[in-house]
Amino acid sequence: MACVIAREVRDGETVAVGTLAAIPACGVLLAHFTHAPRATVIIINHPDYWPFRGGSKEFYDFAQRGKLDLFFLSGGQIDRHGNLNLITVGDHDRPDVRFPGGAGAAMLYYLPHRVVVFRADHSPRIFVERVDTVTSPGSTPSDVVRPGGPWKTVTPLCVFRYDRGSAALVVESLHPGVSREELGRRTGFAPTYDGAAGVTPEPTDAELELLRTRVKDTVARIYPRFAMTAFAR
Amino acid sequence: MPVRGHVGSDYERLRPEFRVIQNPWAPSERVMLVPSISPDVALIHAIAATEDGMLLLDHMEDDALLAQASRTVVASTERVVSSQELRRSGEGVILEGIHVTALVEAPGGALPTLVRGAYALDADRIREYIAAATDDATFKRYLDRHIYG
Repeated sequence: MACVIAREVRDGETVAVGTLAAIPACGVLLAHFTHAPRATVIIINHPDYWPFRGGSKEFYDFAQRGKLDLFFLSGGQIDRHGNLNLITVGDHDRPDVRFPGGAGAAMLYYLPHRVVVFRADHSPRIFVERVDTVTSPGSTPSDVVRPGGPWKTVTPLCVFRYDRGSAALVVESLHPGVSREELGRRTGFAPTYDGAAGVTPEPTDAELELLRTRVKDTVARIYPRFAMTAFAR
Repeated sequence: MPVRGHVGSDYERLRPEFRVIQNPWAPSERVMLVPSISPDVALIHAIAATEDGMLLLDHMEDDALLAQASRTVVASTERVVSSQELRRSGEGVILEGIHVTALVEAPGGALPTLVRGAYALDADRIREYIAAATDDATFKRYLDRHIYG
C-alpha cells in the first residue's frame, strides 16, 4: 500500500498526511526519498515535517486556502460513490457504532487537489453500497466550492480510481494474487472494473529496502509501535 | 464564521445550527457558516509561565486559540520562571497574560499525556485510565492511586 501511495506523489507538490495515517506517511516519505525530492512534505506532529507554529488551526487554514496538492483520508465506512463515514453507523442518535468524528474531513475532501482514500483492511462492512452517514461526500453540486476531491482509494486488495463521470469507484488494478472473485466476496458492493484493469505492480527490492530502513526510522518518531511491528520481512 | 467544504455532507442535516448561504462575493456559490465556540472555562497546561500569567505553550497544539476563545482561562504550568527566561525559550509559542484568569504551578500536570521537552506520553497509564473510566468504583481507585495518592 505504501508503494502504491508513493506512486501518487509528484515531485514539487505540497503533500500532507494527517493523524492516524502511518501507511500514507510511509508512502509519502518513500516518494520524497526517491522520485519526489522537491515535494513539500507535511506530516502532522512529526518534529521534522510539521512546518507550522500555530497549532492545527494554521494547518487547516493552509488547507482551506487550497495550498495542498495531495492529502489522505480514510473512513469507518467507504461506499461505491466515494462517500466517507467517520461519524456513526445506524441511527445517529442511538448508533450501533460511533466512529471518532470527522475532524477536518468534510473540508479536506474538497480543497486538496487530489485525495487518496486508504484503508488497511478490506471487508464488506467497510466497503458498503451506501454509507449510513455522509461525513465527506464523494461528489457535490456544481454550486459548492470544490477545487479538489477523491482521486484514488487504496486497500490491501486493490486500487480504485474515482470516476468523476459516474461519481463512482472503479477498480484500476488488483494487487498480485487477488482475484475478481475474492474482491467481489470481500466488498459490500459489486465492483466495476476499468477496461484496462490489470495487476498492481509489485514493490521493487529498492523500494522495500528503503521502507525497511530510512522510512521506518523516520516514521518511528511519531508511530513507534507501528514501526516496531509493520516492517517484518 | 465561514468554512470551506461541508456543503452537501450530512453535517447540513445533523447540525441545524450550521447555515448554508450564498457567498456574497460570488453569488453562484454556496458556503457554510458555523457559529463560533465560546467556552465558559478553558483549562490549559503550559510548559512554563511567569507570575503574571504569560504562558509558554506547545506550538503543535491549539491552546493559545482555545484561551483566546474562552471567557475564563485557568492555566497550570510545569514551572514558574522569569519573563526573560520565558522569552528566551526557542520552542513553543508565547501567550500574553492578558488572556489568563488564574495560574497554578502543577509539575506533571499534563500526565498521562505529554509535555514536549519535559516528559513523554504514558501509554500504559492512558490504557489504565480508559479501563478505569468505565465505572465509578474503579475510577475512584484510579484517582486515589494516581491523583490524590
